[in-house]
Amino acid sequence: MTGLVPPPPISSSTSTAPATTNTAKMEEERVDYMNLPCPIPYEEIHREALMSLKPELFEGMRFDFTKGLNQKFSLSHSVFMGPTEIPSQSSETIKIPTAHYEFGANFIDPKLMLFGRILTDGRLNARLKCDLTENLALKANAQLTNEPHMSHGMVNFDYKGKDYRTQFQLGNGALFGANYIQSVTPHLSLGGEVFWAGQHRKSGIGYAARYNTDKMVATGQIASTGMVALSYVQKVSEKVSLASDLMYNYMSRDVTASFGYDYILRQCHLRGKIDSNGCTAAFLEERLNMGLNFILSAEVRINSCFPLSCNNPPPLRNKTSPNLLFYPAQLISEH
Amino acid sequence: MASRVALKGKGKTTKGSKASDDRSTAKCLKEWSTWTLKKAKVIAHYGFIPLVIVIGMNSEPKPQLSQLLSPV
Repeated sequence: MTGLVPPPPISSSTSTAPATTNTAKMEEERVDYMNLPCPIPYEEIHREALMSLKPELFEGMRFDFTKGLNQKFSLSHSVFMGPTEIPSQSSETIKIPTAHYEFGANFIDPKLMLFGRILTDGRLNARLKCDLTENLALKANAQLTNEPHMSHGMVNFDYKGKDYRTQFQLGNGALFGANYIQSVTPHLSLGGEVFWAGQHRKSGIGYAARYNTDKMVATGQIASTGMVALSYVQKVSEKVSLASDLMYNYMSRDVTASFGYDYILRQCHLRGKIDSNGCTAAFLEERLNMGLNFILSAEVRINSCFPLSCNNPPPLRNKTSPNLLFYPAQLISEH
Repeated sequence: MASRVALKGKGKTTKGSKASDDRSTAKCLKEWSTWTLKKAKVIAHYGFIPLVIVIGMNSEPKPQLSQLLSPV
């Protein structure tokens, strides 16, 4: 019976103190479904989990120097020396030592962002982001090489509505994609995507859901390509957050689970993770001085040495020692 | 009867020529779009970084050319 009576207005002076706090709480809890917040873009749905669990691990040594010419325009020079993996037929990965210099130019404006990087072997990495109107944005992204048939390009049109976002993608090789995400409650947003790749004759559909509060974010994604990805990030305090993630492919019956942490401290940002494949990684980014950043990254992979079935002959090489891959420093300097 | 056969034959050839016309316009369009994409790729490859530099050098406040080339 009390549930059917509408609550008295807060400004009424006859209500007692506990009653006013109760009505205030009820006002807060009553959700305004017409004023839901805009959801985050579909491709960033796993953003917090990826930040903790997939740091940009690298191998070798790299020095980056960014020189700003004015507020919006800057040039960057980067030298890299280290092994790079080349694809090989056998299961062993082949790494050859390489070194290259990369020149880049960036132009960052509230309405237009241009980012270009060119390597000594002629590869160009270009990104463009332009706000055509307040709600419609155009993004383009290309990797161009001198070798024929090895270049890729993709154009995205993003439309941001009041409580939804939608995106349409066009890529080379007749790649078409579209996705849509909608805020359903102030904490929950649901979305879906569909893509069609003409050259590879593949198409797929996927769904995603994201539930976030101030303290935690839980996301789930399922796709017709067989991928199921679930992640959970808990913000333990202002500086620390923990993340865990499960990736399951129901076509190939492949499962990977990982667990990681993220410490954001005043001078440094430390991330680490451990995987069910026996892979442990850590990534440290430290600000040594104003404009000088130091990055250290390491990954240890422990190979299992047990044969999978008794009928097969044992493998010729029995790796009992952990395979240690150490990626030393990277220095980034900004002028 | 002969005229009917002749008419039928004529109909077939016109239909056949129309289909081949359609095919050749589609082929023409495809070739033309492939040509433009190839040219666009070359232009983007060589011209993107100079374009960014030109836009940056013309933005306010205008930087000097010496700042572009010197390492400091």
